[in-house]
Amino acid sequence: MTIHSLYIYDRHCACVYYQDWHRTRRPKLAVEGGIMPAVSQAVSAHPAEINQPSLSTAGSTRNTLSSGSGAAASDSPSPLLQTPVSAASALMTSGPITSTGLSFDEEAKLVYGVILSLRNMIRKLSGRDEQFVNYRTSAYKLHLFETISGYKFVMLSDPNTDSLRFVLRQIYVGPFLEYVTRNPLVSMDSTERGIDNEYFRSSVDRLVRGMSIFA
Amino acid sequence: MAIFGLWVINKAGGLVYQRNFADGLAQLTSNEYLVLAGTLHGIHAITSRLSPMGPSSGAQVIEGESFKMTILLTATGTKFVLLTSLAELSAESILQKVHEAYADAVMKNPFHTPEMPIRSEGFDLRISFLIGNGQM
Repeated sequence: MTIHSLYIYDRHCACVYYQDWHRTRRPKLAVEGGIMPAVSQAVSAHPAEINQPSLSTAGSTRNTLSSGSGAAASDSPSPLLQTPVSAASALMTSGPITSTGLSFDEEAKLVYGVILSLRNMIRKLSGRDEQFVNYRTSAYKLHLFETISGYKFVMLSDPNTDSLRFVLRQIYVGPFLEYVTRNPLVSMDSTERGIDNEYFRSSVDRLVRGMSIFA
Repeated sequence: MAIFGLWVINKAGGLVYQRNFADGLAQLTSNEYLVLAGTLHGIHAITSRLSPMGPSSGAQVIEGESFKMTILLTATGTKFVLLTSLAELSAESILQKVHEAYADAVMKNPFHTPEMPIRSEGFDLRISFLIGNGQM
């Protein structure tokens, strides 16, 4: 039993965050312009995005915000907005890593297409405002949690796990509200940037790794 | 525990058989069922490509909040879809039996055109015998 990956989409159908854990079949890096910056360093076409001038100029004003944590060096952007290079994703995988043959942006669009179509299908079939919850194949299980504001949390796990909706809800009420919604440096609802930042990523990572089904 | 409906989708994504049993889901027109079956056919193909861990089949069970769809893909590409309540545990074995009935009453029927809608009294009878009114 394990957890493979997490995608977060905003209400504009764009992938704003991605993180993975045990994953032996990986997508190729996103093509340039295929995904927004600050989604995930692991799949981005520009791993050096954090040195963008627009961010470092704002860095000096941000020191006051994060001074409580004592983590920010004066010449680097605040960790509240910094997008860390994800080393965790490659660490835990065992065995040979193969490619899905898709680039990450294509994969993200396929995932979104699938959940949107299934959501509409379930709604149509039930005749009520019923939500799509999950589906299972022989190799994985996909779980969906949608917030009222239109954010969609998608998690891929082992096919034998029970519903992981509560975990997605925990990610929403915990790390997401704390480090994204309440983070003045994240431009919510922008169509230009994702929501990746160091606090959010490590907080999600802790939450997921702390679960009993994560092995 | 209830069985709401049964679909048979041919290998091109066309709905060739659709029947409702227990009440509980919306009553749709045959045209709407055709569209949904086509969508499901496409989704099924995509889900097998999204696997994070090695090769994968397409979706086998799709769950909503009050019902689920169990999908059986045969070696010839025909899909049998059973719409049941979440607590129904026998969906997979029922689908196996539906496949058996399909082989006997549809494929062995000399008047049946492959890939076309199923109009066979024998198949209808066997399904009625198998599922009844959907209340178990």
